[in-house]
Amino acid sequence: MANLDTLSARQVAAGIAAGDFSATEVARAALDAISARDGQTQAFLQVSEELALSAAAATDAARAAGQALAPLAGVPVAFKDNMNLLGTRTTCASRMLEPYESAYTATCVQRMLDAGVTPLGKLNMDEFAFGSTTDSSAFHPTNNPWDVARVPGGSSGGSAAAVAAGEVTIALGSDTGGSIRQPASLCGVVGMKPTYGAVSRYGVVAFGSSLDQVGPMGRRVEDVALAMNALTAGGHDRFDSTSQNCDQDYLAHLDDSIEGRRVGVIPALLQAEGLTPEVRAAMRQAADGLAAAGAVIVEVDLPNMANSIAAYYVLAPCEAFSNLARFDGVRYGYQEPGCATLAEQSSLSRAHGFGAEAKRRQMLGAYLLSSGIYERYYLAAQKVRTLITADYQRAFGQVDVILMPASPTVAWEHGAISDPAALYLADVFTISNNIAGNCGISVPVCLGADSGLPIGAQLQGPAFADAQLLTFARALERSCGMEGSVAPAFAGKGGELR
Amino acid sequence: MALTREDVAGIADYARIALTDAELDEMTAYMNDAVELLDPILEYDLDDVEPTFHPIGELVNVVRDDIVAPGLPLEEALANAGSRQGRYFRVPAILADGGAA
Repeated sequence: MANLDTLSARQVAAGIAAGDFSATEVARAALDAISARDGQTQAFLQVSEELALSAAAATDAARAAGQALAPLAGVPVAFKDNMNLLGTRTTCASRMLEPYESAYTATCVQRMLDAGVTPLGKLNMDEFAFGSTTDSSAFHPTNNPWDVARVPGGSSGGSAAAVAAGEVTIALGSDTGGSIRQPASLCGVVGMKPTYGAVSRYGVVAFGSSLDQVGPMGRRVEDVALAMNALTAGGHDRFDSTSQNCDQDYLAHLDDSIEGRRVGVIPALLQAEGLTPEVRAAMRQAADGLAAAGAVIVEVDLPNMANSIAAYYVLAPCEAFSNLARFDGVRYGYQEPGCATLAEQSSLSRAHGFGAEAKRRQMLGAYLLSSGIYERYYLAAQKVRTLITADYQRAFGQVDVILMPASPTVAWEHGAISDPAALYLADVFTISNNIAGNCGISVPVCLGADSGLPIGAQLQGPAFADAQLLTFARALERSCGMEGSVAPAFAGKGGELR
Repeated sequence: MALTREDVAGIADYARIALTDAELDEMTAYMNDAVELLDPILEYDLDDVEPTFHPIGELVNVVRDDIVAPGLPLEEALANAGSRQGRYFRVPAILADGGAA
């Protein structure tokens, strides 16, 4: 029989519809793979066995009753642990929310459930999504399936690792400054940050409200496109006033030719400090692959992109400080016992509930929003945001998408970079996309010539051109031949459909 | 314009994050490193540039019809609270003297 490692989401759903295997058999095979593999990856914070088996039973009952099955019927999916799902805790990998029981289900999660998926549980992350390693999880680190001594990237590191190790077919992540695309690159999977507003943020614990976006991760571009269909089905979500109607069939033009279409490259960017030779070589390979598929490679410039790090590390901490003020130990979250006053209870609950990086980001935000400092930094950063957005508008007047790395390096060893400010610099290729609200995707290109570890190429597209972005991503995937790979150390361990 | 330890202690008080002495030293070093990273922002001449507060430029308020719908039930809303009293979230005294006039 087949193993889940080798089946696409479409094949899983089709196999269930055809009666080759049942949704319950798929759920048991996924649980079996998680049990065989997660001890090594530590991608999961909770495995929702009961929810998975009851969803699968409902799928099997629908089929038995002769009902048409939903497009992702029975497909094993898991969610970053900043997304609420009734029947699970939503911890944001923080002591602050360790016992927090979801009070309702996030729209993005509900739409995946409506598309028929089998929910396998909640995935590890950097605490409150502050980080790019997943090492700041209060509970445990997650290991990169390609080399378990290395980080999976972050903050959606659990999502990337679970997909790369074949524990689930699709995972949802969230991306505020690269938190889907960077771990996707480091773990050798496809990770998409849709246009800001394309996916509802209702029920997703907020970090930077003008930057956050939920998106899918999978081992194939087609799986990610199917998830986009599910996430946007129904259009605007009345619970998120910023959500837009992006309901369309993202598969319709997936395999279109890119003959004569234009791909931008930024030569100066490939000279960026810290960019390794093997990542530079992978970008050349990606450009050559797209050119071989008929694309025209055009040089473009984003002159203010280098300063997007400075703009981001003003905007994101300020938004985070504002959003995380709600964790005061009163309505939910850790509550310090034995305090005489409310102020003492808030200060000690926050001191003991939050980890080091969550405190650092909020302190920075509190400072930058203070009187006199606000005008100097925050207002200036919002103006630089205008310049960065204008750079993109000029570039997208010349090209359909822009090709660049998602990360300057392959995955590094746990603890290898300890200076928090130094880690921020690694976000240079991803954060300008969030600042402008555009769409972006990382697609695995090759294994590094020196390291043997996966390298992703990032494609960025204009806002609301998500379907076109997927067409280019599919062309890149075809030219690189990395489609569907489970990390070799994990392939075939559990996950057999009996 | 480096931030002093006293500056950082003041910010921590405002941010309601109690820091130990050792944390205050580390936080002061971090804050100065992080703020230095932001310097490129200050080098722009931005007088004629409009700020962008939101990536969707022409955002307008979205309002729904004013129809009463059920909210989160009381027991579920209180379920994650650290302490409660009856139908309410329970908190310690808001004023330092316990509220005595």
